[in-house]
Amino acid sequence: MSVVLTARELTRHYEVPTGLFKPHALVRALNGVSFQLEAGKTLAVVGESGCGKSTLARALTLIEQPTSGSLQIGGREVAGANKAERKAMRRDVQMVFQSPYASLNPRQKVGDQLAEPLLINTDLSREQRREKVQAMMHQVGLRPEHYQRYPHMFSGGQRQRIALARAMMLQPKVLVADEPTSALDVSIQAQVLNLFMDLQQQYRTAYVFISHNLAVVRHVADDVLVMYLGRPAEMGPKEDLYANPLHPYTQALLSATPTIKPDPAKPRIKIAGELPNPLNPPPGCAFHKRCPYATDRCATEVPAFRPVGTRQVACHYAERFVAA
Amino acid sequence: MALLDINNLSVRFGDKNAVPVVDGLSLTVERGEVLAIVGESGSGKSVTMMALMGLVDAPGIITADSMQFDGNDMLRLGRRQRRKVVGKDLAMVFQDPMTALNPSYTVGFQIEEVLRAHLGLTGKAARQRALELLRKVEIPAPESRLDAYPHQLSGGMSQRVAIAMAIAGEPKLLIADEPTTALDVTIQAQIMELLLSLQKEQNMTLILITHDLAVVAETARRVCVMYAGQAVELGQVPQLFDEPAHPYSEALLAAIPEHSQGAARLATLPGMVPGRYDRPHGCLLSPRCPYAQANCREQRPALDPKRQSLARCFYPLNQEVA
Repeated sequence: MSVVLTARELTRHYEVPTGLFKPHALVRALNGVSFQLEAGKTLAVVGESGCGKSTLARALTLIEQPTSGSLQIGGREVAGANKAERKAMRRDVQMVFQSPYASLNPRQKVGDQLAEPLLINTDLSREQRREKVQAMMHQVGLRPEHYQRYPHMFSGGQRQRIALARAMMLQPKVLVADEPTSALDVSIQAQVLNLFMDLQQQYRTAYVFISHNLAVVRHVADDVLVMYLGRPAEMGPKEDLYANPLHPYTQALLSATPTIKPDPAKPRIKIAGELPNPLNPPPGCAFHKRCPYATDRCATEVPAFRPVGTRQVACHYAERFVAA
Repeated sequence: MALLDINNLSVRFGDKNAVPVVDGLSLTVERGEVLAIVGESGSGKSVTMMALMGLVDAPGIITADSMQFDGNDMLRLGRRQRRKVVGKDLAMVFQDPMTALNPSYTVGFQIEEVLRAHLGLTGKAARQRALELLRKVEIPAPESRLDAYPHQLSGGMSQRVAIAMAIAGEPKLLIADEPTTALDVTIQAQIMELLLSLQKEQNMTLILITHDLAVVAETARRVCVMYAGQAVELGQVPQLFDEPAHPYSEALLAAIPEHSQGAARLATLPGMVPGRYDRPHGCLLSPRCPYAQANCREQRPALDPKRQSLARCFYPLNQEVA
């Protein structure tokens, strides 16, 4: 087992202006997230909008510096690395974005976009670059003549293939995919997910797969991290988490996800209300206002993210939900 | 008599010879029914409903043998008469609540506008009714929300307001076009529950347009599957999911990650939906269909009754009686 990425207590805070002469408010977009990622494995990050999924992606890909916490890529610490080292690290962590309509340069030919990572990061000649690009295009199911085309000539599914090919050009150790299929139709989504799986098998890339779709996550993930309002709520192996969710929020998420085989006998866990304002999060457990099991303790004491069985859970009463 | 009866509806953009976006669609919807229309982008599901509401602008051309809604011939209705029906008896909830509401007016004003136009309510009476409507769609602290602007509301709240506006005229038919696509799962569950409880309470007919088969399975009684502008299968909900007759319905179901648990790869249909220039001669699915025969590439099948449903296929699946 080789660990390719380690995050420890990653935190990212933003200061938001609230008005002239007023003090800045602090949004804790990401609040103490820790995990390890092994080569060839997929960690899925799940949560609703505003839970910090995308902030995590930005921190992992070195687009933004974390406010505190440590991040190791390929065993090397990111904080304290100099410019050249950071550049080398960026090679190892690549990203696929949600909308392939916005993430490709409309004025650049597809082939040139795919060659650009090689141009910047390697000493390959023009011919060698072209060869590599053609090989990758073949692998993601694009035809050679697509090299000369512009992004607008492609459908959404094909564009996402291009985006994936571009991210894989340097054979990164880690690929961060932020909702890569949520802009696609089901049948196209299936094609793109298959491609993700194929590439992972071949290159043993580790994936951080960010999604709000629990059915997709169940298909692709090895481990799942559920986040709520910037904090981890539950993390563990996929099978355990889906079979016996320990955090009430995970339970609610799973229950709210529609399925094609609805079971009328299964009670729906209803959660009322919406995500609290991140500028003014509730004291104690961030979920307690919507949680059906909340007690006085939940309103005052922030639950620690602690191990329970094979998993880590941030709930005072996680043991209560462990299936006998 | 059925509430809605659409017969052979086609919508084209451009001239009469343009490729139809909706191609010969016939649909009957009974009072109090929940019907889902499922399909991928570009399958014509939204345009069908836009055509019904009269929202297709030039260069769109609508042709149909008939389009009856609640005794009105929607094809021949004049503009004035149409405005009396649309928004009152026939209402719609759109996909993106953030753009469906007018950002320059308060929520209360926008709801009162519907009440004024369709029910003749003004002043205090309108405000009172608007408040009741906000309560009905379960908005917390509705009194304070009446004077809120859309930007002060979250996505889920905005969608609730949009629903309140849609049900203000106590519509006979509510069309919800991807009402939860822009929302998070927990909010999606809340909104779907709200729509269904309103539907039951007012014995309203609900047409749900969606691309999410799981939502269909949980809400609708009947489903119409569309592909490239045509209805390819029409059937009852558990049956169509268990034993789809059309290969496209089968493929759509197989492509859902939920369906292939444990399998490393998802089943996929090769290729893409035919576009304007590569529309096949025969059955529209024939280039992608694993069961296609020679005549599938020559002739277009009609939507005929099969064992469980209506399907547009020469060689329907799951026809043997178990």
